[in-house]
Amino acid sequence: MAIVEVRDLYKSFSRGTERIEVLMDLNLDVEEGEFVALMGPSGSGKTTLLNLIAGLDGPTDGTITIGGQEISSLSESELARWRTRNVGFVFQFYNLLPVLSAYENVELPLLLLPMSKAERKQQVLNALEIVNLADRMSHRPGQLSGGQCQRVGIARAIVTDPTIIVADEPTGALDAKSADAALDLLNLLRSELGKTIMMVTHDPTAAKCAQRIVHLEKGRLVGSDTYNTALTASARPTHSI
Amino acid sequence: MDPSMMAGQSAPDLSLMQMAIYGAGIMFLAIFLNLMLAVASLPIFFASILAMFLGLKVLQDAPDPIGKFSKIGGLVFRNLLRNLLRTSLTYVALFVLTGMLTFIYGTVKFLGDFTAEKEDSQMVIMSEKFSIPSQMPPGYANQLKGVIETLPPSNRPRPLSDEERAKKGIATSPLGSIKAEELERLFVDDLDKNPASPQRQRFEQLAAQGIKENFMTWSFVGASLDPTKFTQENNLFLFALDPDAVTSGMMSEQGLNKEDLGDEGWAEMNRVIDLVKEDKQNIVVGEDRLKIIGKKVGDKVKFYSTNYKDITFECTIVGAFPASSRLAGGAAMRYDYLLSKLDGYQADAKNGGQPHPQANRCLNLAWVRMPNKISYQALAAKVNEPGKFNAPAAKMETFSAIVGSFLEPYKDIFWGMKYIIMPAIIAIMCLVIGITITIGVRERWAEMAVMKVLGFQPWQIMSMIISEAMLIGVFGGMLSTWGVYFLPRAIKYGTKAIGVKFAFFDNFNMPWQILIYGPALGLAVGLIGAALPSWNARKVKVSEVFAQVA
Repeated sequence: MAIVEVRDLYKSFSRGTERIEVLMDLNLDVEEGEFVALMGPSGSGKTTLLNLIAGLDGPTDGTITIGGQEISSLSESELARWRTRNVGFVFQFYNLLPVLSAYENVELPLLLLPMSKAERKQQVLNALEIVNLADRMSHRPGQLSGGQCQRVGIARAIVTDPTIIVADEPTGALDAKSADAALDLLNLLRSELGKTIMMVTHDPTAAKCAQRIVHLEKGRLVGSDTYNTALTASARPTHSI
Repeated sequence: MDPSMMAGQSAPDLSLMQMAIYGAGIMFLAIFLNLMLAVASLPIFFASILAMFLGLKVLQDAPDPIGKFSKIGGLVFRNLLRNLLRTSLTYVALFVLTGMLTFIYGTVKFLGDFTAEKEDSQMVIMSEKFSIPSQMPPGYANQLKGVIETLPPSNRPRPLSDEERAKKGIATSPLGSIKAEELERLFVDDLDKNPASPQRQRFEQLAAQGIKENFMTWSFVGASLDPTKFTQENNLFLFALDPDAVTSGMMSEQGLNKEDLGDEGWAEMNRVIDLVKEDKQNIVVGEDRLKIIGKKVGDKVKFYSTNYKDITFECTIVGAFPASSRLAGGAAMRYDYLLSKLDGYQADAKNGGQPHPQANRCLNLAWVRMPNKISYQALAAKVNEPGKFNAPAAKMETFSAIVGSFLEPYKDIFWGMKYIIMPAIIAIMCLVIGITITIGVRERWAEMAVMKVLGFQPWQIMSMIISEAMLIGVFGGMLSTWGVYFLPRAIKYGTKAIGVKFAFFDNFNMPWQILIYGPALGLAVGLIGAALPSWNARKVKVSEVFAQVA
């Protein structure tokens, strides 16, 4: 069953009088528990597609349905509420709040949900356990390495138990070792927790961790490679960025 | 208002250039003092912010929603404490600007209150119409009293009631107890007109007492302790008046009242006035003036009048006006002593029986305290009637109108202070806070976007930013105005306790309203200043922010 359904999607931007078509007639299905990598050259529309699926932007035309909910027609505040529950976002540059500890960063989205304090604490601790950072929960981002920050970012993305996790170049700012660890973690989320993951990447090696690689070019879907089983980063012979 | 101003009744002899120089000097001094105060209050500011933050931290352990909101609210404080230098500078700027605003507001309000026409008790002054300084015949005083007696009962000055006397610390009336209700009942126009009726007789008694308690005359006597020269160190400026004017509260406006002098000071003033009543040669000199002329209470002085040529006064200083009073630099003598000296001049054979040239011009001002504006207008109409007070012509004005006329040349400056400088300061405050918050928002642009991604509503992001601005604004405004209000008082009472007295702090009284206006202004400035940056943050487009970041 497709948890993400993209139908006849168009997205264009205006720059002065010029109209730039970023995505054109795009159709895509992502199954529940699937790990999909979006690849393509710069300007192909990968991040735009990811933003649309994450509800950060609205399409010019077409529909996007996530977990049975059509999000293309939701207002800004409805989308904000929807995102809290349904989308976990992993950023290239982690984007943790520097004034908050790892624990507080992970807890932040839960403050917007009707949840008891005990439940909240339990979920934050679980998420930090999954990313293996429970012992660093009181550290601020400035006191953590890049790889650790990204793991906190992943913990923040999964703490609300979202329908889908979207990751935009999650290894783009990491060294090879940390990148492998982050990819392993994403794979773990898919294999152990059954999470649906969509990841934008330029890195073919990173993309091979996904079960399917979707290629975009000039705003159109130009093909996809499907693997029966995703390779964990540690199982791959080499990693190059 | 310095009473000596009334002597000349003209605008001070200051050019606009001098005014500008003095004004600029005062402004720089005020800015400097404010700056020092702002820097000194920084620990209080940060301690307060920290205390509130720690309070919120404690609340974070409380059950939801308090715990949850405390965590989100804590972000506001963390952001304020993130860049200590910027927060400090913004606070200092707001503190200084609020301080300046308070200073200007206090000045404008003080002058406004002074010149505002009152509906109730009206202090009115009769003076010469076409000449400055005013010089009227002494007979005008009795003539004016006669005019007052022709007013209908409701317009007559009333004697002080028992309640008013108790409140003002004024001795019991020679007529015995006077109840406010009795005055209300008798000072009415439809009162029994039969002179033999007890009501009418009691009214006439009270009305006569009313004139006595609400009437005074001022004659100005300039004098020097040295007949050959007139210097700053040997001159005296005296008010010649009836001593009862002090004890009946007619000199209240000049700071001679229980409220300004305190219970002890007022009791001492009454004791001194009793001494003056005992002997017409007894005088009272202001403390500041005593220091300047090198005299003390108990000294006998002989002084030579400068405006009453060839008149010499021999007096004993029996008391001093306190340094805090507006007469600290002046002195007062009995009017009847001046009159007797003028009579003596005419009686002196060497003057050939001629009256003194000033004898018929020795009444400078006549004051009447009227019960209300209507009664003042009725009296003014009578004074202005043809055939009355026409040699020389006299006019009747309220005290506030006279002060207003005195300040007339500067009205544009006061207008500018009120409607240009004050709004400009507020606008600068908004800009200062707006720029700070804009920089803060710009720095945290990606964080705002992340919060949006996480599901924070635009209004929640906006509220957090506005709260940061309002917190700085409220503290800047509050500590500044509270400092301006409480610090002089603390110095005043502190120095009083150790026996030191600073006249400046005795007179430096800001209206209590600034205690509310300061924080409210800070709140409003924070709200306005943060409006645009917070609106921008509210509208932050997540996809664009991350496109730029990447």
